[in-house]
Amino acid sequence: MATDNTTNSATAKNIGPKNPVAQAGEDVVNFVDERTGIVGAGKWFLFRNIPSGTGWFQTLGFTAMTVFGLQAITGIFLAMHYKPDASTAHASIEAITNEITWGWLVRGMHKWGASAMVVVVFLHMGRVFIWGAYKYPRELTWVTGAILLTLTMTMGLTGYLLVWDQKAYWATVVAVNIIAQAPILGPYIGAILRAGPEFGPETLSRFYAIHMLLIPGAMVTFITIHVALVARLGIAETPWSKRRLAVEADEAAGRRRAARERIAHGRTPVPAGEPAPDPVRVEAES
Amino acid sequence: MNKAQKEAYKRDYAIAKEQGKSFFPYAIYKDMIVATFVIALIIFLAIWAKVEVGPVIDPTTETYVPRPEWYYFFVFELLRIFKGQNAFMPVIMATFVIPNVLIGILFLWPFVDRGPERRIWKRPVSMAVGVAVIWFLCYTTWKGATTPEGGGSLTISVPSSDTEAAAGMKLVEQAGCLSCHNIGGVGGAVGPNLTDHGTKTKGLDFEIKHLKDPQSVSPGSIMPSFGAMSDQQLTEIATFITGLGTKYK
Repeated sequence: MATDNTTNSATAKNIGPKNPVAQAGEDVVNFVDERTGIVGAGKWFLFRNIPSGTGWFQTLGFTAMTVFGLQAITGIFLAMHYKPDASTAHASIEAITNEITWGWLVRGMHKWGASAMVVVVFLHMGRVFIWGAYKYPRELTWVTGAILLTLTMTMGLTGYLLVWDQKAYWATVVAVNIIAQAPILGPYIGAILRAGPEFGPETLSRFYAIHMLLIPGAMVTFITIHVALVARLGIAETPWSKRRLAVEADEAAGRRRAARERIAHGRTPVPAGEPAPDPVRVEAES
Repeated sequence: MNKAQKEAYKRDYAIAKEQGKSFFPYAIYKDMIVATFVIALIIFLAIWAKVEVGPVIDPTTETYVPRPEWYYFFVFELLRIFKGQNAFMPVIMATFVIPNVLIGILFLWPFVDRGPERRIWKRPVSMAVGVAVIWFLCYTTWKGATTPEGGGSLTISVPSSDTEAAAGMKLVEQAGCLSCHNIGGVGGAVGPNLTDHGTKTKGLDFEIKHLKDPQSVSPGSIMPSFGAMSDQQLTEIATFITGLGTKYK
């Protein structure tokens, strides 16, 4: 019977009632799509065109986001066993490292992941800088990226204290003293970070909340804005892509010809009556 | 960029996109490969260099080395350079001015370099600033990483009859003072050198006050407070450091 069924549906597609499971799946997708338009949006996101010179250097942003995801997942598992209290924090870190199954691996991945994220984020920034990809219209994409870079660094600073060992404690005391020495706002920020005038057990809860709730929330928000801007504006074309080099060679030839024939030469002549296409609209039509 | 340049950019980018490729699968497969590689590398490092647990916090006496994570080594190195030796080298350069200049450059660069040119070799100012910042961060991080950690045993001779100063010297070695301060060639370089401190000191009471709450008598200092120590211990340390370079050499 089972073989009959499969041969039937394979040979006579679209005839008769569908497999009820497939039908139910389709119904669910249709129900959600009717109310959210998610299928169209997903297709637009996946099948939007990107300039053809896009290569390996442009993978760093996605990689940074993936490492952030890894930090979130390993962080959730660490939070299940970590006790944010001055008297128990260090013992719980010891338990994670020495007793709990795979605990040493998860903690190791979280620690190495932090370093990897800083490296990947800096490389990503360097790539964008060299490509000049922060220029019009992507200035705000750069600013959100700069916010994400500082948030990543703050994550490293706040997470360092949570292990509650000597090295981390004194390094963080000095770091908070550094922040507190800044003019005007410094003392207030220092007091907020320390949860009072002195560094102590309360500081741990403060850093825990900042590390686990405040900054991750801010990072998710800014990653969403950052990626939405990248999708909307499109990934910047490599300034030395084959197409750009051809355009520049063309322009140079045009300029030479204009000089030879003693006529005015504009950068790129616009055909009369043809308005410049809006990149977003061109996208929607294609 | 003026309006014409913006329009020229939009037109050019629309053509680039039209002649381009679909994000899925042509870009995403590369993203996936690199991201998988980086995650594999993180797992490898986590197994290869297992994370350790340091000694639990003791805010009174224990040896410690206040070293930050490697990506803050550049601030650490700046603290070594700007120690307030003279009016041109204030500590605030390391703690506030230079880090904030870097943050300012980071956030404002798109509003500084605004021309339509995107090829790096035709953007000399960007190239110079980029190379300078990368060199500065790499150099200071490298210096911060390779400078030997402070700490060690002091080679100062204290007469054995002077029990208070001898106890103070022991505390200086144990309480981690040498992670930042240098005494007679032993110790770190983040804080001021204390080899001849006896010639500059403002007296025993000042030193005790300073150890309890450094910022109350020396504004702008980043030294941690040692208020968790007993008055007896603080007096011993103060006795030792007020005699450095004069009584104890």
